[in-house]
Amino acid sequence: MTREMLITTLRHHLGSRYVLHRREELMLYEYDGSAMDQALPDVVVVPGSTAEVAAAMATATRLGFPIIARGAGTGLAGSTVAERGGMVVSLARLNQILQIDPQAATAVVQPGVVNTDLSRAAAPYGLHFAPDPSSQRSSTIGGNAGSNAGGPHCLKYGVTSNHVLAATLVLADGHVVRVGSAVSDTPGYDLLAAVVGSEGTLGIMTELTVRLTRNAEDVRTFLAIFDDMEVAGACVSAIIADGIIPAALEMIEGEGIAAIESWAHAGYPPDARAVLLIEIDGLREDIAAEARRIALVCQASGCRELRTASDAAQRERLWAGRKGALAACARIAPHYHILDGTVPRSRLPEILRRSAEIAAHYDLKVVNIFHAGDGNIHPLLLFDLRVPGTRERAIAAGAEILRSCVEVGGTISGEHGIGIEKREFIPWIFNVEDLSAFTDLRNVFDPTGVMNPGKLLPPPASLSSLHASQPSLRLPRRGAWI
Amino acid sequence: MTPFQLYNQQPSQIVAPTSAEALAHVLRDASSTGMAVIPWGGGTRQGLGGPPRRYDIALDMRSLADVIAYTPADLVLRVGAGATLGQVQDLLATHNQWLPWNPPLPHQATIGGLLASGATGSLRMGYGTPRDWTLAMQVALGDGRLVKSGAPVVKNVAGYDTHKLHIGALGTLGVITEVTFKVAPRPAHCQTLLAAFSSPLAILEAMNQLTQPPFQPISMVIMNGNASKANPVLHSFLTDKAPHLIMAVRFAGTAGAVGRQIRMGVAVCVEEGAHTIELSEADDSSIWQAIADDLRPTEHVLIRVGVPLSHLRTMLRSVDSIPHHRGWSTEHYLIGGAGLFYARWSVSAIADLAPALAELRAGLAPLGGYAVVEHLPVALANQQPPIDIWGPPPETLTLMRSLRHTWDPAGILNPGRYLV
Ligand SMILES: Cc1cc2nc3c(=O)[nH]c(=O)nc-3n(C[C@H](O)[C@H](O)[C@H](O)COP(=O)(O)OP(=O)(O)OC[C@H]3O[C@@H](n4cnc5c(N)ncnc54)[C@H](O)[C@@H]3O)c2cc1C
Repeated sequence: MTREMLITTLRHHLGSRYVLHRREELMLYEYDGSAMDQALPDVVVVPGSTAEVAAAMATATRLGFPIIARGAGTGLAGSTVAERGGMVVSLARLNQILQIDPQAATAVVQPGVVNTDLSRAAAPYGLHFAPDPSSQRSSTIGGNAGSNAGGPHCLKYGVTSNHVLAATLVLADGHVVRVGSAVSDTPGYDLLAAVVGSEGTLGIMTELTVRLTRNAEDVRTFLAIFDDMEVAGACVSAIIADGIIPAALEMIEGEGIAAIESWAHAGYPPDARAVLLIEIDGLREDIAAEARRIALVCQASGCRELRTASDAAQRERLWAGRKGALAACARIAPHYHILDGTVPRSRLPEILRRSAEIAAHYDLKVVNIFHAGDGNIHPLLLFDLRVPGTRERAIAAGAEILRSCVEVGGTISGEHGIGIEKREFIPWIFNVEDLSAFTDLRNVFDPTGVMNPGKLLPPPASLSSLHASQPSLRLPRRGAWI
Repeated sequence: MTPFQLYNQQPSQIVAPTSAEALAHVLRDASSTGMAVIPWGGGTRQGLGGPPRRYDIALDMRSLADVIAYTPADLVLRVGAGATLGQVQDLLATHNQWLPWNPPLPHQATIGGLLASGATGSLRMGYGTPRDWTLAMQVALGDGRLVKSGAPVVKNVAGYDTHKLHIGALGTLGVITEVTFKVAPRPAHCQTLLAAFSSPLAILEAMNQLTQPPFQPISMVIMNGNASKANPVLHSFLTDKAPHLIMAVRFAGTAGAVGRQIRMGVAVCVEEGAHTIELSEADDSSIWQAIADDLRPTEHVLIRVGVPLSHLRTMLRSVDSIPHHRGWSTEHYLIGGAGLFYARWSVSAIADLAPALAELRAGLAPLGGYAVVEHLPVALANQQPPIDIWGPPPETLTLMRSLRHTWDPAGILNPGRYLV
């Protein structure tokens, strides 16, 4: 009855075309980018303006339905999955770049703009949007902000929260406010800081002002090849400790290298145990000096070989391997569980060894393809779901690896978010008082608790286990990369 | 002046907790008895926010000054909020690292006080603000809960980033007890170019060009003649002592990249009619310390203005006319890359300041700008009616109030000193 009332009212506000409610329509919104959770929403709306977002939200709140914001749905933590039903708000139609100000190096965009589309539009001005999650060809600026996405080049340029200046935010009851400002240091609490990365639990952003970054004068990309994973890990620390902050410092290790090579032909030696992809950018004199230092550090660390991409084509080829990593790994085993922990960079060798041990213990294959310079590891647990019990083993191994990250002074998510997937691990890092302050914040923005309920914070013990839901079988898309 | 005296008000108690837990306890008790608490670091920014409505407890933070963890190889530092920024920079320097953050008076000002008061400096042009470098915090909320957020690693999305809410909140949500920062390697070389202009249009044009590729300045400050004269270190470098507009621009990196930018920078400035002076590397840090300290509290009122970068010119014209028409002497500082501007006015009566501030705000409103009284001297604060320090509140005031109410329910933290 209330569901019908919800649908009728929404159709009144948005027109029936943009209110999806048939089962086959809803099924498209059952998942996010991971294969671990699924649930059907009651309804999906695709509003075309801030006013329509506000009207839809006010309606759902009044009728007591959960509200779940959705960009491209590539999130990996289950945070767009409607596990309690409710209304999914797809921001796909709000996909306009409203303004690019080359002088101030800012852009005003709607949340559904795809990440790479913004950089493409900014290119004629010598600018780009720095956060570059590996999903950037499909993920949206709103989703990047909702999850505070990172990416390879966030090592030097910072994650999404460092690049969002202001947002129009619709609150649960339909109230529209502005948080943040393109003007520096405006008086008042920095509410924007809480909203970015809040996984749609505080409100829905319908317009964002973001910072654009000037393209570098010179770029150089290296491939460092190692016979030993821990030596490669130590080399990462040595580069940072030497005072160099590369634009990107990525690592691929294990069986993934051969798999990637046979898939992408990027020039990675299949017998290597680990490769580092190192990119530096800046003024040409600085780049020349850093290149010399990187060569010295790699040599001193015991690198087998250091190759330099001498032109754009070679650079593309090296990156193609990194970008194709996820799809390539499907050749090793059909299903995967991607983890996302962060450790202090000096603890990388130790955590890599530990994750290999844990994976072996659970009889799973593990490939690490990750943002090494940030200490942000992505162990990719590979398995075949058709073998009974593997999914459970993957989940248990994943929990143990993340636990190890916390034990060495790190955390349970560097960029993918908490969502459903990791909410039960939150008490490893935050105590009851910490959580009470988080809950206070949430209640201030969303007093009736309709915004993406159950996500990001640990559930009350009574909530049924998320992992009891049915296993979903999904293959990584071609060209996907993490 | 007696210690912890604030606008002629005295606390009835002075407490200097030696642990975060003890501090939280003080707040819990104060919250239940309704005692007003003023946190004190080095006191360098107590002129922001004006007189408190009530003042019972002075909370001296300087016993929480330990460096708790510093792993140079990880570029991460965890420190008690009562440590001075100078103390932290001295330690980082031993490993050739720094926090690229240069507010005034670093050897007196504490980390907690600087963050709470939203202090920044000219390095924000190249490195962003402390918000970008703060990874985690421990905070004692107004009701005495001791909470943390963030993580001691450079990338983290677990929990809400509530630590950033305390930056610039003037301690009205909680008292910062501990901070974890990301730090940076120090650049190999820094060098500074001074340029003296006689035309405001020319200096703005030069500024514009010096922020376009290939230039990558890490700091840029523009001062009017009064401001440059008030800075003895800077003034000593100026060969022509006439009251020009002065630009100081700083480059960092390898000698080659710095040298190229200085050479090209000279050409740009000369083309715009300026007289240029290339400082030696040896003078670089002293000149920038002196420029940062220019914004320290004095006996004059200091106003901070923010505008969208696109309206810089219009803003400069309107802020120039206000003291000019009134015959006040004024020192002007423009912080490059940020759209931030500071004016120090020689005004001694609130009856003169209030209408000038109102006129300034009226001119800024259509530009989307704001003006805040960054430092209110005691003499002005003791006159009636009280000055409007923060200007019109943002539209999210209701949310802000409700947040403050949940974390500081008794309203004991810096009462009457913030817009919320
Ligand atoms: C192959 C692959 C590679 C990936 N690589 C990376 C990577 O390198 N780095 C990284 O950080 N992530 C990565 N991800 C995860 C994911 O792509 C990012 O989290 C991305 O930012 C999500 O964007 P989206 O548009 O898909 O948002 P969604 O997944 O739809 O939403 C993400 C979160 O933001 C909320 N949200 C969405 N829009 C709004 C809005 N307008 N207002 C408020 N909240 C909103 C949602 O409710 C949800 O909680 C990867 C995912 C895949 C599948």
